[in-house]
This record gives sequence, structure tokens and C-alpha cells, in this order.
Amino acid sequence: MGSINRADLAAGLVFVIIGAVFGLTSLGLDMGSTLRMGPGYFPMLLSVLLVLLGGAICFNSFRQMHIAVEPYAWRGMVFILGAPVFFGLTVRGLGFVPSIFLTTLLAAFAGLKLRPLQAVLLAVAVTLFCTLVFSVALGLPFRRFGPWLSVVGV
Amino acid sequence: MDLFSNLALGFATAASPENLLFCLIGVILGTLIGVLPGIGATATIAMLLPITFQLEPVSSLIMLAGIYYGAQYGGSTTAILINMPGESSSAVTAIDGYQLARQGKAGTALAVAALGSFFAGTVATVLVAVFAPPLTVIALKFGAAEYFALMLLGLVSAIALAHGSILKALAMVVLGLLLGVVGTDIYTGTPRFTFGITAFADGLSFVALAVGLFGIAEILRNLEGEQDRTILGAKLGSLFPSKADLKAMVAPMLRGTALGSAFGILPGGGAVLASFASYTMEKRLSDHPEEFGKGAIAGVAGPESANNAGAQTSFIPLLTLGIPANPVMALMVGAMIIQGIVPGPNVATDQPALFWGIIASMWIGNLMLIVLNLPLIGVWVKLLKVPYHLLFPIIMAFCSIGVYSVNSNVYDLYAVAGFGLLGYILLKLRCEPAPLLLGFVLGPLLEENLRRAMILGRGDPTVFLTRPISATLLALTVIVLVVVLMPSVGKKRAEVFTESD
Amino acid sequence: MALHFKFAAIAATAALMGTSALAQGFPDRQITMIVPFAAGGPTDTVGRLIAEKMSADLGQQIIVENVGGAGGTLGAGQVAEAEADGYTILLHHIGMATSATLYRNLAYKPLDAFEYVGLVTEVPMTLVARQDFEPTDMAGLLTYLKDNAETTTMANAGIGSASHLCGMLFMQAVEAPIVTVPYKGTGPAMTELLGGQIDLMCDQTTNTAEQIKGGTIKAYATTAPARLDIFPDLQTVAEAGLPTMEVGIWHGLYAPKGTPAEATDRLSASLQKALADPDIAAKFGELGTQPVAADQGTPAALKAKLEGEITRWQPIIETAGVYAD
Repeated sequence: MGSINRADLAAGLVFVIIGAVFGLTSLGLDMGSTLRMGPGYFPMLLSVLLVLLGGAICFNSFRQMHIAVEPYAWRGMVFILGAPVFFGLTVRGLGFVPSIFLTTLLAAFAGLKLRPLQAVLLAVAVTLFCTLVFSVALGLPFRRFGPWLSVVGV
Repeated sequence: MDLFSNLALGFATAASPENLLFCLIGVILGTLIGVLPGIGATATIAMLLPITFQLEPVSSLIMLAGIYYGAQYGGSTTAILINMPGESSSAVTAIDGYQLARQGKAGTALAVAALGSFFAGTVATVLVAVFAPPLTVIALKFGAAEYFALMLLGLVSAIALAHGSILKALAMVVLGLLLGVVGTDIYTGTPRFTFGITAFADGLSFVALAVGLFGIAEILRNLEGEQDRTILGAKLGSLFPSKADLKAMVAPMLRGTALGSAFGILPGGGAVLASFASYTMEKRLSDHPEEFGKGAIAGVAGPESANNAGAQTSFIPLLTLGIPANPVMALMVGAMIIQGIVPGPNVATDQPALFWGIIASMWIGNLMLIVLNLPLIGVWVKLLKVPYHLLFPIIMAFCSIGVYSVNSNVYDLYAVAGFGLLGYILLKLRCEPAPLLLGFVLGPLLEENLRRAMILGRGDPTVFLTRPISATLLALTVIVLVVVLMPSVGKKRAEVFTESD
Repeated sequence: MALHFKFAAIAATAALMGTSALAQGFPDRQITMIVPFAAGGPTDTVGRLIAEKMSADLGQQIIVENVGGAGGTLGAGQVAEAEADGYTILLHHIGMATSATLYRNLAYKPLDAFEYVGLVTEVPMTLVARQDFEPTDMAGLLTYLKDNAETTTMANAGIGSASHLCGMLFMQAVEAPIVTVPYKGTGPAMTELLGGQIDLMCDQTTNTAEQIKGGTIKAYATTAPARLDIFPDLQTVAEAGLPTMEVGIWHGLYAPKGTPAEATDRLSASLQKALADPDIAAKFGELGTQPVAADQGTPAALKAKLEGEITRWQPIIETAGVYAD
């Protein structure tokens, strides 16, 4: 007791910062009046509320038990969060098949357990399955091979 | 009595061999696609819609209804197994369902969800058949003021969704409300917080939020330590619920069914509250509220029943008014129109075979679901034995496709990554995602109806008190608030908090 | 798999050989029709019906892809940037013309970014009211509005929606400050009209016809130039003395700028064939609309329509002072 709960302090700060960002952005919007609210009224109200709540959480964090800080999954963050972004960047250009193959491969690198060959095999299997299910069987309007490849092909 | 001849007509229509077959195909396809991570009921229906266009109108709609229930059930399965809900309702199931799965009781959670859904589906089907017209009258009494009061009640109840600090839960609700505001303001057309990205003009994608906040954050958490383990924290327990489990689920199932049926009839977002409300109710009524969030049977049985009952009764506005209550129903309307049936208030009299056939197929579909899914539980649970380092790349591939397929919008994929990061940070800071999700769903409805009520009431704030339904709901809100803030309850929460750390 | 690679190779070769070679065999693969609205909506329905018929004629499947969002501008923008090979086409409605003014920083210019295939249909609108609303006919409504405009409410399905456009026309035609109440989509707006929470709405007949037939709402007039087959007793707005309120939600088929004429001509011929199909006429009839005359299913007709409509809507939207960006 008596020490700082870092998780809570950080959480409070995160809420204060997010609230402040939304609040400042809301300043650029028309507030209107209580009777005829503008687009900025409701967000501003919420932003102020979030900052207050965040502040209260910070305040409370000084009176609680200390909680050990755990490790962060840095490698996971890069590859796991990168996977959907990569898919979004390439699905139209490369086309569905190569894009989903590379996305799976990318995600597989987030772990340390999978050897490269295994990762490739896994990605091939996932690609095959997804192409058969989504593109062939369900006929989703995905282009299997995109325009980038035809340029390279030439 | 008319009802019996109508139901007889319905069952005669729905039970014809080819309609039974299409219902079965729909249920199977819905389950199989819905069970893929990140793909919820809306995405599943959107994907499978075109295959139904080639069929006869009745068969097409029966198959679509089958797909809908199947997808809902499939979505709950993914929520329980890997904490990846594709729909707001299954987000609630994920809270306790996933914890049960980690304790080796995935089979129990899945069976409880299936049984609860079936029971709720049966009751709600009867409700739809018997009371559709009078229930419609009630639904139409809900205007902007009533919806605002209802959403407020839902938000206040949301505090119970979290098992940690009240303050943090409140902050998460408010953050959710703020994220829900992102997009074009419907009253003035002003873009808000879109950073100039037109793709966010219609708001952030719910699926992206749910997948990121729940599923991806959980994957990242699992990647922190050694990675050759499986999701299973403990030894795999019995596949089927024990007698005690079954006994524990009866009351929540009954209450969930009642809540879900009531909320489901409200077009315009009533249904989203059903499973959240049920969870709150069960936690309040439970003798062991501290178990909630750590694998309470009631936390799965109640919301799942509410969810399925709501799914059933949300057909009421569609069948009696021709108005879709949610995006899924809008897809059904589209299917009807393609088939040359424009739904309207006369569908029941003009197309009795279609109307009663759909109602009968609701029950048949639910029956098929339980027959199909109880044996499948064994298969699903085996998935948990797949080593995690093989499982998560597959999950990432599916959820990328699922999120993208809803709207072919690549920004939804970037949002998944953003929400995944946010979810992970919040997880590290011990903030629970469920209240944020509820805030996100309700935020736009809350603001929209508040402003609409003020416009319709010519700027007079007393509209909320002079309309009886709205006033009652607001009174309930105050009562809930008092109960939550009462010292004794507060103390209980504090104990829970200390224990959980 | 091998098949797909071969496929890509063929596409690459075709690209090399230039447009004439490409157009000769057009279409030799699946065509994507982008509908910039959600699946199941009225525009999607029009798109799917027409795509099915055209597929049969072209011998290649046209698949519908829904790219909803931002009043149809997201999907339209995507087609504007798509490869101009005829394999990506766009079905859009009147929003193509109004977005030119409603969105002040549109990424593409509606008039410059597309080739034209043809007009598809024009859906008439109906001015409707809650069942127990006081005025019994159009003349009664106009008199009623003289004294009660400020307490009369009119729903619409959001900025840029068909009901919003028609509402703007109505308010400018009657010069009355009716209170506008936006909703998120037609469904919620119609529900509140049925529940008597709101007085008026003007929406596509597709959405209103069944409710009018069912007696749950009442209709005052249609915005079509002639009376509708399904409601022969319903006045037109011109008959009611409001000729400026004439409006229809027209749908057109577009391709990205630079699409070879061989491809657009082939698509246009196919569209005209589909429009003449009695089955399409019957299906459209159920939606309260009809296919345009075959001579309207041409690139020239659509181009003229789009140019005319952009000019028409610009002052209306600017007067209303509402923008969607």
C-alpha cells in the first residue's frame, strides 16, 4: 500500500490524452446550443467527461497496490498488426492469392516457434483453403491475381 | 383457430423436402462460414446472399434464415474458442465463454450456448407467430425520446460488464461513445474525427473494432510468453455440461429469453442491447457476481439466449411492417425484392405461405442447429489443441479476409491494426474492452436520438419526461444508478477487484 | 493454381497487345459491377437484376460488388481509379450528379472520370405522410403548410439520400420552412413515419408503394411526369402546381475513363437488350419503376442526363446550404 499503481496511472493518462485530442478536435466543430445541438456538442461533452474520468483514475492510482509490469509482445505487435495492414495495401494490387499468402507468412513470423519452411507450408495451405472457399466456392468478388503482377509478367 | 391453420401452412411449406434441404444447407454453410474468425453474421450473409438468388422465393428466404442462425451460432463459437466475436452480441458471450474455454470447459460453454439458443429460439418463434401484430404496435410507440432513454439505461447498466474498477469501466464506455461518433454527422453532414479519410465517413467498422479489441489484443497477449502452448490453460474437461451446469443455466436462460424477445422487437437498435442487458442482469442477480468475467455459466447462458431470442423477434418489424430492424434484415429485404416480393404491411395476407413458411423454418432451423452443433462441439474443442504458433497466422488470415469482405474497404483493415494496438495497450493497463464496445454501438444511437428528440420536441427538454415510456425508462435508469453506487455494492466490487489482482 | 497463373499470363499478353485485341474478344472473363451502396438496397437490387440479364447476353458472369459508404462516393471513386479495360463497371444513381455539388472535395470529377454505358431506370418518388396527418390531399397540404410549416416535420434518410433531395425540392417549391429531421437510412425514417412520430416524407416509390397499398401511410402526389400505373388516382406534382418538384432517381451504368469504345459499346448493346427484356420490365414494375426506353440505354443519353442533372442540382443544393463533406 501507499505505492503507485502504474497500470492505473498510465490508463488514466491514456484517457486524459485521448479525451484532450478529441476535445481539441471538437473545437473546430459547431457546438450549437443545448436545444439545437451542433455536430461538436456531443463529442465535446464526452471529451470533457473522459478527461475528468482519466484524471480521477490517475488520482486513485496513488493509493493502491503496486502491480508488476509484464513484458510487451514487441515482435508480435510488429508482425500481427502488420498483417492486416499488408493485406489492405496489397489485396487490390497483387490480387487475393499472393496477398493472403504473404499476409499469412507475415503473421507467422510473429512467433518464434515456427521454422521458415513450416511457415511457408502453412501459408500455402491457408492460401489454398481461402482461395477455394472464398473465391471459388463463394464467388466473392476478389481478383485472384492483380494488375501489379501482369506488369511484372511482361 | 386461424393460428393453427396458419402454422400448419407454414410447416407444410417449410417441411417440404427441398425446403428442408435448403434450410439444412443454409444452417451448415452459415455455421461453417460464421465460425471462421472475424466473420460474423452480417459478413456471412453478405457473402452467401448471391447463392440464394437462384432459388424459389420461399426456399431462398428459408435458406437465408438458416444461414442467419447458423452464422450467429458460428460467431458465438469463435467468440468462445478464441475470443474473436464478429458481432456485438457475441462480444458478450466472449467475456465468460473464452474464460471457460481457457479453463478447459469450452465444450460446456458451447453446449450451454447451443441449448440456450435453442430454447430461446423456440419460445421466440412462438411469440412471433402469436403476437407479431400487437408487438408491432408497441414497437411503433418508440420514438426518439424513448430510444434515448433506452440507450441511457443500457449505458448505465454497462458498468456491470466490467469486473474491475467502476471508474475505468465508465471511462471505457465514454471512450467507446467517442469512437462511435467518428464519421459524418447525419444532421449537418460535417465530417467528425475522420482525418480527411473519406473511407471513415460512415463511421469506424464495428467488425474492425471487435476483432481488433478482443481478438488481436488477445493474440498479442498470448505472444508475450512461450509460444508452444495451446489456448487451453488447463486440462480439457468434459465436453458436455454437468448436471450442476445445466441447473445453473435454467434461470439465466429464461430471463435472457424474455429480455431478448422484448428488445428484439424494437427496430432501430433495440436488439443490440439484449445480450448486454442480460449479462448485467445475471451479474446483479447472481449469488456469486465475482465469478462473472472468469467463466460464469450464467454469463454465457443468459446473453446467448437473449441474443437468439432477439434475433428471432427482430423478424417481427420485417414481417409485419416490411421494415428491416438491422443490417441483416436489410439483406433479407434485398433478397425478397430480388425475388419479386416487396415486403410491406400486407406480406402476411398476400403471401401467407411465405410468411408462415419463414416462421416455421425459424424453428426448424433452430432444431437443425442443435442437432448439427452438439456433435460438432467435439470437433471445435479439438481446435484448441492446435499449437498456438500454427493457430494465430490462420486466424490473422481469416480475420483480414472477413473484415475486408464486409465492405471491400481497405481502411477497415488499417482500423483493425489500430484497434488491435489500442486493445493491447488497454489490456496491459487492465481496462476491459466490453464496456467500450457497448459505448461504441450505442454512441451514435444515443446522440442521434437525443438530437432528434430535441428537434421533434421543438427544443423542449421535458419531452423525455412527458412521454410515459421515456419517463419510465429514465426512472429505471436512476434506480440502476443508485443500485450501482450504493455503498454495499461498492464494497463488494472493491473486494472483487482486490481478489482479481 | 496453374490455371490462375496461365490466366494472369493471358491478361498480361492482352495488355501488351493493346486495346483492339482486348476488345475483340470482350468480354473474355468475369466482369465486376461495383454498386456503391449496401447489398439489399434499392440500387443494389437494380444492379443485380440488370447484371443477371447482361451476363446471359455477354456470355460472361457479371458479379456485383457492394462498396458502400459516403453517399456512394467511395465506390464511384474506386471505379474512377480502376483499370479502364471494361471489366470494372459502376452502377450509380442520381447521386453521381448531386455529389458533384454536395461533396466539395471529391477525389474525382463526376463529369471527367467516367465513360458512359447507358441509363437503366428512373424510379419515381412519392410524397407521403403519416396516416393521421390532417391534410387529406395535396391541395389541403399546401393550404395547411401556409400556417403550420414551422410545426410540420419531414423525415429524410440522410444527407444526399433520395428522400433528402426530394425534400429539398419540395421545400423550395412550396417556400415553407418545414422542420427537416434526418435519419440513418430509409428503414428508421419509415418506421417513425408509420409510428406517427413524424409528419412527411418524400421517398422512392420502391420504399413507399407497399405501405401506401397497405394503408399504413397516405400519399399526396408522385414526382413522376405522368401518373403511376400502380396508383392511377395519385396526382402528379405538376398537376398539383409544383412542376419544379418533378424528380426521379435515375440509375446509370459507367466505366472508368479511357475504357475502349469497343468495350463500352458492347456493354451498352447488352444493356439495351436487357432493358427490352419483358422479365426486367416485370421485375422493375414490382419496384414501382420501369426500364428506360431502349434509346436511353446509350452512352450519349447518359452523358446528357448527367450533365443536365449536375447543372440542375447545383443551385438547389447551394440554396439549401447543406453539404455532405
